[in-house]
Amino acid sequence: MGLLDIITGKYVDPTHFKSVHESGNIITTTVDAVVNWGRKSSIWPFPFGTACCAIEFMAFTGSHYDVARFGSEVLRFSPRQADLLLVAGTIVDKMGPILKTIYDQMPEPKWVVSMGVCASTGGFYRSYHTMQGIDEIIPVDVYVPGCPPTPESLLAALMKIQERIKSGDQAKRPQGEHRVGARAEGVNDRRERREAWAHDDASRASTGLDPRGRIHFKLTEERDESGNGSHHA
Amino acid sequence: MPSMIAMERDHALAKPAYRILAEKLGEKILRGTDYRGDLAITVDRSAWKEAARTLRDHPELDYKLFLDLCGVDYLNDESRPDRFEVALHLYSVTHKHHIRLKTALPEKRPVCDTLVDVYKGANWFEREAFDLYGIVFTGHPNLTRILTHEDFVGHPMRKDFATGKRFVNKKAKEWLLTVPKGSEHLVLNIGPSHPAMHGCFRVQALLDGETIKDAEAEIGYLHRNFEKMAEERTYWQIIPYTDRLNYCSAFINGHGWALAVEKLLGVAAPPRAEAIRVILSEFSRIMDHLVCISTNVVDLGAITPFFVVFRAREEIYDLLDSVCGARLTVSYVRIGGVAQDVPDDFDARCRKTMGWIREVAEQLENLLTRNIIFARRFKDVGTFSKEDALSYGWVGPCLRGSGIGYDIRKDHPYSGYDLYDFDVPVGSVGDCYDRYLVRVEEIKQSLRIIDQALSKLPQGPFITDDRKVALPPKSEVYSDIESLMNHFKLVYDGILAAPGEVYGYVEGANGELGYYIVSDGKKHPARVKVRPPCYNIYQAYPQMIKGTMLADAVAMIGGLNVIAGELDR
Repeated sequence: MGLLDIITGKYVDPTHFKSVHESGNIITTTVDAVVNWGRKSSIWPFPFGTACCAIEFMAFTGSHYDVARFGSEVLRFSPRQADLLLVAGTIVDKMGPILKTIYDQMPEPKWVVSMGVCASTGGFYRSYHTMQGIDEIIPVDVYVPGCPPTPESLLAALMKIQERIKSGDQAKRPQGEHRVGARAEGVNDRRERREAWAHDDASRASTGLDPRGRIHFKLTEERDESGNGSHHA
Repeated sequence: MPSMIAMERDHALAKPAYRILAEKLGEKILRGTDYRGDLAITVDRSAWKEAARTLRDHPELDYKLFLDLCGVDYLNDESRPDRFEVALHLYSVTHKHHIRLKTALPEKRPVCDTLVDVYKGANWFEREAFDLYGIVFTGHPNLTRILTHEDFVGHPMRKDFATGKRFVNKKAKEWLLTVPKGSEHLVLNIGPSHPAMHGCFRVQALLDGETIKDAEAEIGYLHRNFEKMAEERTYWQIIPYTDRLNYCSAFINGHGWALAVEKLLGVAAPPRAEAIRVILSEFSRIMDHLVCISTNVVDLGAITPFFVVFRAREEIYDLLDSVCGARLTVSYVRIGGVAQDVPDDFDARCRKTMGWIREVAEQLENLLTRNIIFARRFKDVGTFSKEDALSYGWVGPCLRGSGIGYDIRKDHPYSGYDLYDFDVPVGSVGDCYDRYLVRVEEIKQSLRIIDQALSKLPQGPFITDDRKVALPPKSEVYSDIESLMNHFKLVYDGILAAPGEVYGYVEGANGELGYYIVSDGKKHPARVKVRPPCYNIYQAYPQMIKGTMLADAVAMIGGLNVIAGELDR
């Protein structure tokens, strides 16, 4: 925590006025660094809670885990006033456009936490109406595993977001854009899955590719004493 | 086994429902069975509405409580001439009896009469059957998709619909209501992402000033296909899915599922397991009521009760954590028992948690019950009559708030609830305040039950030793060849239930949670239908808020305790 004093090359904390005075009363830095330093401890989350994860999210804001310690207790239910979108719970295809709208309505800069496996990958709902990860439609900065994640892991995610804010990182594009509406895989019984694999192998073979997962072992060439490859001999 | 079928039929024939229907409909009654104590009557589709009306109106039957209506697809069943079936579940509060009424529909033209004018609650259920199975109900006022989105093609619960097939929803449905031309009323959209809408419900209200003139609700924003997934899972593998139905009281769902499957299989859990189930169910009920009350008042602007209550919730979480290692989604129940025995200090932990709950409940009552602001926001708000409550199929604290003392734990005791002494609180007016008081009282009654169950917690095994249902202990698997084989067969084949269908039900935290299971003898159930208490309750919500103030609508929704996971499944 702190700002980089480029003269001494050390981090100084502007709240410790004394040290600032001693190093010449002046700190040289960028505006971004100061703003990000301030921003990371005053995140205003928008809780997009839909399912079970929202209950654990409530525990996260409740008295026991007390998110106020991280300066994020000001929950905003208007996307216009929030800078962290916390997606807690399964997002189904019907909810997709609404989530996208809310993300678009948030002012820049904004960060997204995908809480729980359902929001991250669809979880164990591999079916006709469940979005297989919110990164199909919006960018995600931090994924939190768990079904539902414990409040501790959500706190860890919040700290990760703080790190990202400090270093100026922000996810810009939906990572899973290419698979919007793709068939939820892994739902079929073994026989069907094998058929799908066989189909995949055949289509790869027709383009001259090997089946997925085949590892080619590279043989090390025999070397003669001069260090050249044996085929030169 | 022909003799068995004959016996079932004889049982069914002896029931008054069968006799009266037979007098009335004659040839149109096709079949009556009494499998595992469930009376099921199949009628011809031309007599569908008349049969339902007779069941409701005949004084000897009085099946006034509408429970559930669903479609079933028998694509793979060669013995049936017709592919689809519609199953209706009803309950008679006066005679304390469940009934299932069925009718078969052909694949080519799956059409039957609507029951909307017989039971108000049938409306959304018929829309759901249309959405998921493509069954058409003639005379239905608004037969449109309800759970899936507008860009969806096909009927996903049909057996020939691939589970993973998805469609992209490009645009959210914007208008649920139409504004009359020339009127100056304002249409206000509330939800699905709104703090008062607890998850993802959506209501559109037509406002005249602050008064709601008309309202329409939309659901399906959490339709994550529990029922379709269940058709591809074994009876065990479904347990974690049930946890995520009503996630405020996850254990009760698993309890209900285990009881329903045990009913289907005809096995029973040992007394110790049943007592453990009762204790944890009651803790879950308390947890659910606490969340319901606290989030309800958060909507009204009081945040203190939320912080007070979550202290007790954390204690219950810790207890569940010590029992099974999970806080919220416990997956602790097993078919025929529970996953493992409780820890040695279970009794002490429970008593400590109960101390916390007592303290918190007292604080909660001091903060709310006589609080004048709270009382004014709650008294005479959202009054719902007995008749409407039954017709919509309300159950649980909401039905009891409306003055009908139907509690499954008392009327159809399961898991040994008849061993414990407790009272069922009943409201007198049926408003939000009554529902609140019922919940507060139920917390106290649950503590009573836990206290008694703890003091007579029996010793013995925690899971049945039926090797077709429960896995043998690991020590035996490693030392005994027979146990090893049992283990292998059970893991590989799963539990195999005989062909048949049952409706198992428990008193969930917000009402009768039922599972209608159809087995075709394979390791996966052929059909699982959850009878979600919230579905009926939320269906009545747009009717309730018509004519009230907008702020009262917010006060009402929290007290109904609608849980999205269970509503949309």
